[in-house]
Amino acid sequence: MRDRLTLSMRASHLLALIFVAAALALAAIGAASGDTFYLRLGTEALIFAGLALSVDLLLGYSGALSLGQALYFGIGAYVSALTLLKVPSFWLAMAAAGGVTLVASILGGLIANRVRGVYFALITFGLAQVVAKVVYNTRELGASDGMIGIPVIEIGFGPVSVSAGNPVGFFLIVLAIIMGLYGLTAYLLDTPFGRVLTALKANEKRVPFLGYSVWRARMFSYVLAGLIAGLSGALYPMLRGFVSPELMFFATSGNAVISVILGGVGTLIGAIYGSVLLVVLKSIIGSWTEHHLIVIGLIFMICVMFLPKGLVGFIRPRIEERLLAGAREPAAPSFTSAQLEPGSAKP
Amino acid sequence: MTGPVLEIRDLGIAFGGLKAVDRVSFNAQRNRITTVIGPNGAGKSTLFNLISGALKPKSGQLLIDGVDMTGASPARTKAAGLSRSFQITNLFFELTVAENLRMAAQVLEPKARAFLPLGRSIRALAKTREMLDRFQLGHKRDELAGNLSHGDQRRLEIAVCLASEPKILLLDEPTQGMSHADTADTAKLVRELSKDVSVLLIEHDIGLVMDLSDHVVVMHQGRKLAEGPPAVVRADPAVQAAYFGHH
Repeated sequence: MRDRLTLSMRASHLLALIFVAAALALAAIGAASGDTFYLRLGTEALIFAGLALSVDLLLGYSGALSLGQALYFGIGAYVSALTLLKVPSFWLAMAAAGGVTLVASILGGLIANRVRGVYFALITFGLAQVVAKVVYNTRELGASDGMIGIPVIEIGFGPVSVSAGNPVGFFLIVLAIIMGLYGLTAYLLDTPFGRVLTALKANEKRVPFLGYSVWRARMFSYVLAGLIAGLSGALYPMLRGFVSPELMFFATSGNAVISVILGGVGTLIGAIYGSVLLVVLKSIIGSWTEHHLIVIGLIFMICVMFLPKGLVGFIRPRIEERLLAGAREPAAPSFTSAQLEPGSAKP
Repeated sequence: MTGPVLEIRDLGIAFGGLKAVDRVSFNAQRNRITTVIGPNGAGKSTLFNLISGALKPKSGQLLIDGVDMTGASPARTKAAGLSRSFQITNLFFELTVAENLRMAAQVLEPKARAFLPLGRSIRALAKTREMLDRFQLGHKRDELAGNLSHGDQRRLEIAVCLASEPKILLLDEPTQGMSHADTADTAKLVRELSKDVSVLLIEHDIGLVMDLSDHVVVMHQGRKLAEGPPAVVRADPAVQAAYFGHH
């Protein structure tokens, strides 16, 4: 069955493939030239892309703007750091970060999902700020300095292992994890459950009269988003060797929202493109002027004015047209004539 | 099952001092068209909101197919087999016609399919196609619901309600704002529907009501004024004074 939302998702997948191909090519160039700086910058961009992905899941699909998604990113980072300081195991750190963010996002969801719209944004903002301040003032967690000296770990896959200190190796691992999270989210959004989220964004008041629990759907998407943010955050101390309360601050949450808007709300892959774009812009403009935030603010405003659907939001409809044209060919194997009436084809 | 599909006993709600619905009782019989009429402000839509779970009653009892559903949430009354439309068209305007129907039909699938690919929901997809054909919306399946004409939107609204195979269908002024031709079509449609689903209707067009209904409930200032077959209700002097007298 030809389905507009499935088609959009397919267009996103195509852009995801292009992204992975470009990332692999850049990794190869980086490895060949012995680069460290850009590979590690790229890895950081990917880690923040995971945070942006979780923001887009909430904002682009269920229609809930979270201004405090860095809370779960930060919790993931701190739990990962604490675990690695005790036991330098990648898998244990990921499992611990996942478990704790799961619990934290259930608690946060119970609070935040009592309200909608701008109040949801304010509650998520408030929750993140409160926890960030607590961390900022807790000596056991390094207080305002954060925690340093997190060991460089070996990431074992059965017989082989890759060092997190290896710029290319760790870049590839992070790329695989973030694209895995993208794949999982994209899959879920194209299931009946995912469509309930889309329906929430389109007309939340109608949803209960179709027999779906609004609360349950919102809760599930919130917890899933928290988990994605937490797992992404868990990678951060492995890359940088430290964590600091700034990871939970509004600037981090805000950057994720900006990434999503730059890349295109409700496109998923746009969050990843947007995040990479933002990190690259910051790095390039930051090397020219210390007032780089002003320049980024201007770019953001120009983007909102002239590309209100973001980069991917602008490009994706064109890809959809192509995919649709391809599907309309009579030889296309996956469509039967009964499913694709010629009369309903778009002009 | 032979009892009434919907039993309403002394149902009531007040907003401040105003008794919007004041101890209303009636039954809706299986596979019949029961119509609620009354002047503006009589409490018809509020009654629908009480029945569908949008509002919680302060008093009384509500049974759907013999099961007590008093104060249940909209999702629960929906699961009990009650589907409702809205006086003001209430669709997913940013989604396609087909997706609006598929969303509604998805409840026919087992819960476990919620996390499987859409294509696995065979029953929901078949139901979607059936509804597109039955309501002659097939050629508009990929249009956004928001881009349809008013008449098509009203028809889609009924189709959405029906896609979940309800036992009872609540239609809140389905012909509201429709042309004469569309109104006649809708009347025909509702009569057809009542072969396999019980219909509870709010309607303003008196000609249509008398023509279509098996049973009429007249409301006035929150109370039930009279009920009975159309001819009996029409002859009732109290009804004539309160309702027909104004026309």
